[in-house]
Amino acid sequence: MAMFSQNPTMNGPNYSFSDTPRTKAPEGAREHRFDPYTDNGGSTLAIAGADFTIMAGDTRLTSGYNINSRYHPKVFKIGGTTSDQHDATIALSVVGFAADGEALKERLDAICKMYRYRHGKPMSVKACAQRLSTILYQKRFFPYYAYAILGGLDEEGKGAVYSYDPVGSYEREQCRAGGAAASLIMPFLDNQVNFKNQYIPGSGEGHALQERERKPLSRQEVETLVKDAFDGAVERHIEVGDGLQMMIITKDGIQEVTMPLKKD
Amino acid sequence: MDHRPQAWGRPRDDVYGAYDHSYLQQSGPKTATQSPVVTGTSVVAIKFKEGVVIAADNLASYGSLARFTDVKRLRTFLGTSVVGFGGDVSDMQWLDRHLKELAIDEAYDQEPTAESAEAAAKEGLNAANLYKYLQKLMYKRRNDFDPLWNQILIAGLDEDDKPFLASVDLRGTSFTSPSLATGFGAMLAQPIMRLHAATEEDAAKLTREQAVEVVKECMKVLYYRDARSLDRYSIAVVTKEGIDLKEDEQLEKQSWAFAERIKGYGTQTV
Amino acid sequence: MTSIGTGYDLGNSIFSPDGRNFQVEYAVKAVENGGTSVGIRCKEGVVLAVEKVVASKLLKPGANKRIATVDRHLGVVYSGMVPDGRHFVDRARDEARAWRDTFKSPIPTADLASRMGGYMQAYTLYQSVRPFGITAIVGGFDSELESPVDGEVGQGPSVGAGGKAQDKDYGGPFLYMIEPSGLYWGYYGAATGKGRQAAKAELEKLDLNGDGAASLTLEQAVKEAARIIYVAHDDSKDKDFELEMSWISGTNGPTKGKHQEVPKALREEAERLAKKSLQDSDDEDDDKKEDDKMEE
Repeated sequence: MAMFSQNPTMNGPNYSFSDTPRTKAPEGAREHRFDPYTDNGGSTLAIAGADFTIMAGDTRLTSGYNINSRYHPKVFKIGGTTSDQHDATIALSVVGFAADGEALKERLDAICKMYRYRHGKPMSVKACAQRLSTILYQKRFFPYYAYAILGGLDEEGKGAVYSYDPVGSYEREQCRAGGAAASLIMPFLDNQVNFKNQYIPGSGEGHALQERERKPLSRQEVETLVKDAFDGAVERHIEVGDGLQMMIITKDGIQEVTMPLKKD
Repeated sequence: MDHRPQAWGRPRDDVYGAYDHSYLQQSGPKTATQSPVVTGTSVVAIKFKEGVVIAADNLASYGSLARFTDVKRLRTFLGTSVVGFGGDVSDMQWLDRHLKELAIDEAYDQEPTAESAEAAAKEGLNAANLYKYLQKLMYKRRNDFDPLWNQILIAGLDEDDKPFLASVDLRGTSFTSPSLATGFGAMLAQPIMRLHAATEEDAAKLTREQAVEVVKECMKVLYYRDARSLDRYSIAVVTKEGIDLKEDEQLEKQSWAFAERIKGYGTQTV
Repeated sequence: MTSIGTGYDLGNSIFSPDGRNFQVEYAVKAVENGGTSVGIRCKEGVVLAVEKVVASKLLKPGANKRIATVDRHLGVVYSGMVPDGRHFVDRARDEARAWRDTFKSPIPTADLASRMGGYMQAYTLYQSVRPFGITAIVGGFDSELESPVDGEVGQGPSVGAGGKAQDKDYGGPFLYMIEPSGLYWGYYGAATGKGRQAAKAELEKLDLNGDGAASLTLEQAVKEAARIIYVAHDDSKDKDFELEMSWISGTNGPTKGKHQEVPKALREEAERLAKKSLQDSDDEDDDKKEDDKMEE
């Protein structure tokens, strides 16, 4: 105990004036000039069906007004036993800062692989979802600048979509759009997937108006929705375009489809 | 967007507003800070049927001063890949030494009897492996807030002997494309290259001669319009047969006639 | 070994009254039991060869290399205790790397030999360690060209201040042999291990420093190295062996300044010639014997 010290930060007698440390910066601290983040644009989307989940993303990679690449996938199969991921059961989409997205994907994939080797079975989406949240939160003070969406089938075989913010807050949802055009796509999804603002005509006035009954969409309907959502986003957002990558997760595995989007 | 290397890694003024320096210490000991000092400008590269062509000029600038005019910014790796560096030259030298050490370590256990560069590539690290390594290295350095202030192009062949071309920057952002260009080249050269190789399929139709011609055209346009560029450049062609690297090429068939017609800022005609 | 039991052989760093370090001499004995190693330095480069004793039929032919690359232009072969040799190589690689770190250029062969000689000598000084049970042959080709500093970006002055003097030769082939005592000399031809006596006798017959047409070419040196390993091998006493060879030429030679294994085709040709020459000399001996008989 430094009983004579008046200095709260120093555990000992006070320094004479000339001996006072001149820096308040802790050891090893660097002056901050380098911005470690950038936004690489792009958009993602996931919709859960009754017995399937569709994950989608465009394949454009931008920096500023430049298109770096016209084919840079944002949706990945996670936790297969080999590097080609042929037996993966979960898909992850990342959008935001591409380098962080890549690092996040590789970490989650490594963790899911380890789980699979140790337990002899793939990780459930629920467990994987919680684990992803933990990974993100562990970097709370130097976050992965990536908006992640995790998709798979839950224990009952129903489609499951989990969406995240960069620091690990997450929830299970029916559908979610992420990235540059999220604010353009999400309202469209609210209306088309969750039938928001859709009422039965003539069912009443004001609060008596009855909402249209919600029913799960077929795979064909969802694929069309995804395509329409991206065609719309491409039209209105410069960072979205080039290619559309879709992963369709069913009990038979993950099917990957790519199709062209406008390249302008 | 500001493509000068000095502006790399800074928050964009048009998005975030001017950077607020006020919280930084004004007095006290000087803290070492990273920012590029001697810099190289664009690197351009394009894939073709059997390989990749990559080029960069031989200039290292100190701000607006053309400081070194014989700087080789294309470096070979294991005789199978070429790495092109834009950005800080001292960080490039560090990376070059680091890669040389890696190559020597790789060669300890390599069968030296390999008949060709093709066979050697099968045994050792190919361009795709090198790309992954450099991506992890650059991303690690950005995580440590001690970035290597470069944008790098990696040209070579992948594990299936297909042409491989990729880019990594100071933040670890990495991507591949049929044609790539760093710095000013991203704005001036990339559109020209995309005319000839918009997709992988298009690139696979290009011959070696065509690809070299496109890259030379790009170098010329860059010399016309990039003030930090030079008419002496290095060019390398990577194929299964190995690397054909020329380090002291002169830009040919320049025509500055257009310059006389430039008046004012574009709209002015008299 | 009259001194065994006198107590002066029990530890390193103990001299006997007549000025010997018995631990070092025992280490030399370990070397003398190892497979023969040979190094030949000729005008065009260096060849290293070793008689790799096949300890078991279960070992994969051609695997488990005995000659090691230390840096691009440097190779090492050794006779004696293989694990000691492996450690020697590890250390040599560290030295070569450290040299590059500080001087940004490849380590000259002479400097590597000096560093490694010093390293081995240190293992004769302390009670807590034993000397290396190997004699190592270090071969290298220091670049004869103006070689750039690692990571260098420009050329700098070609001659005069900061440049190199004209009319002066740089680099070339070098060969050193380092013994367990730490003693090392530069050689034209070096041999160690079980068959060293026979090998040295053969090496002495070669013209390794002549300027004329008689001086050995690199390819001839490869063939001589193979022949010498075969000569040094005693079929009746010794176990089976594999011949392993490497070479280093200058920039204009076949290896372009790098240390590499001798290509399979050339090695097999050299082995064929070696076997043939042994056969021929056997026949000669037989002829002689027969002649002797006839005279009787």
